[in-house]
Amino acid sequence: MRRTHLLLPVIAVLLVAGFCVTVLVGFEFRGTIEHATAGWIEVAERTGAINVVTAIYLNARLFDTILEVLVFAVAVLGVHFYLTTRGRPERVESIPESNVIRIAADVLLPLILLVAIYVVVHGHLSPGGGFSGGVIAGTGLLLTAIAVGTETVAARFGPRLIERLEWAALLGILVLGLVPVLVGRTPLSDLLPPGEPGRIASGGSLLLYNGLIGLKVLIGSWVIVRHFVEHRGEI
Amino acid sequence: MIARAVLLVLLPVTAAFALSQRRRLHAIIGMAVFSLLLASVFFLAHAPDVAITEAAIGAALVTLVYVLAIRKTGRLVVVACQAPGLIAREGDRIVGLEWEILKQLAETVGLDAVVRFVSHDEATAALLRGDADIGAGGLLADEVDSRLVCVPGHLPTARFDVIGPRDGTEAWPSDARPELADVIDAVRRRAPLSITLDLARFLALSRYDLDAYAVRRRDGDPVYAFALSPTGERLRASLVSLLDRLRTTGELDETIRRYFP
Repeated sequence: MRRTHLLLPVIAVLLVAGFCVTVLVGFEFRGTIEHATAGWIEVAERTGAINVVTAIYLNARLFDTILEVLVFAVAVLGVHFYLTTRGRPERVESIPESNVIRIAADVLLPLILLVAIYVVVHGHLSPGGGFSGGVIAGTGLLLTAIAVGTETVAARFGPRLIERLEWAALLGILVLGLVPVLVGRTPLSDLLPPGEPGRIASGGSLLLYNGLIGLKVLIGSWVIVRHFVEHRGEI
Repeated sequence: MIARAVLLVLLPVTAAFALSQRRRLHAIIGMAVFSLLLASVFFLAHAPDVAITEAAIGAALVTLVYVLAIRKTGRLVVVACQAPGLIAREGDRIVGLEWEILKQLAETVGLDAVVRFVSHDEATAALLRGDADIGAGGLLADEVDSRLVCVPGHLPTARFDVIGPRDGTEAWPSDARPELADVIDAVRRRAPLSITLDLARFLALSRYDLDAYAVRRRDGDPVYAFALSPTGERLRASLVSLLDRLRTTGELDETIRRYFP
């Protein structure tokens, strides 16, 4: 039992370190400014994304983005770890909420989720992407939690499933970044064809990355809020 | 260009507004407005991606998290027993001397006062659990649970024994603290009673016909008190200094006269 407790973090650290080394070894570094600016245009053309910013942070600088996702994952893990060891109070008393907020949440939740899905799915076409879309959806969940209580919302999801889904999303991002190696291309490069610019099914792997990041951010923000509420107070 | 200049001027203004607010909810709203303005600046600077993220996180998520946080900590939760003249519900309003003091206390510490009317024992239990911050409603200083922090002396009072008709069993044991409405109901039914009431409750009861009962004022000079939860040391300091101020300015006497002419 003790040995597995030690083994798991070691394996996790080795995996992340191995990932970083693989990427750094395989990455093409180009030195000059001319190379860089020419690179951005080339990136946009290569991925077929209209939103160049997304093309950069989910293709040319995907390495940086993945480490940012890891930072977020570590933050969620920290909240989870430190708050679950605190133990929970016997009963969380929920404050009854006024009808105004309950009805407003009922009306707003579908709209907020719709906007969130739009922002995620159109990440490579218009401003937005996985991070902002995930946060928008998280806001919707939080609003519902204020209206009907975290317990009710959490019971609807099943906490174990949702936590596994969160780590599955993170794993998916890492695996998706490494799959190109299998077909003999540089890691974190594009796997899918660019498609016809302007369509949702274009932009190579950007849509997949955005979706996974959106899922990860949505669940992560929800997990943080749920832990704070369960262990430190009421909602 | 002008729009951007206006926004850049408004940014420090809203920041100062958020910082200067005493009420936490107002400060949070100030921060949300700040985030929205900042998102507009980003948008005008041709960074729509950053603008969307700033709006989603700064204006929405962070605001909601703060609102959640102050729902518990931003309230001054008062547990009170109904006591006419001190703290009682009148229609959809709450009136009374203690309520006026508590409203001022809430204002000085920057919280919203909310009242839950409960029985005496429930009030003590809620204060001990930490579910409530302050107990009111005609608590007598020498009867406050010793584990609670007691702030006595905003109003002198007296104890009255109401005993009568001697036939039949009494509705409550003599040390019980039933709801005043139940006592009034018992008196109107001429039910047997043996009960001790404080001045405020006795005054309310004496509007009804007490001929069938023997009324005796007990010796001693009890005073009313507020009971604070065991962790309420800082609140105690604020309450004591508020009471001192009200006493020296004469406001306390004036309020007392208003409720107990």
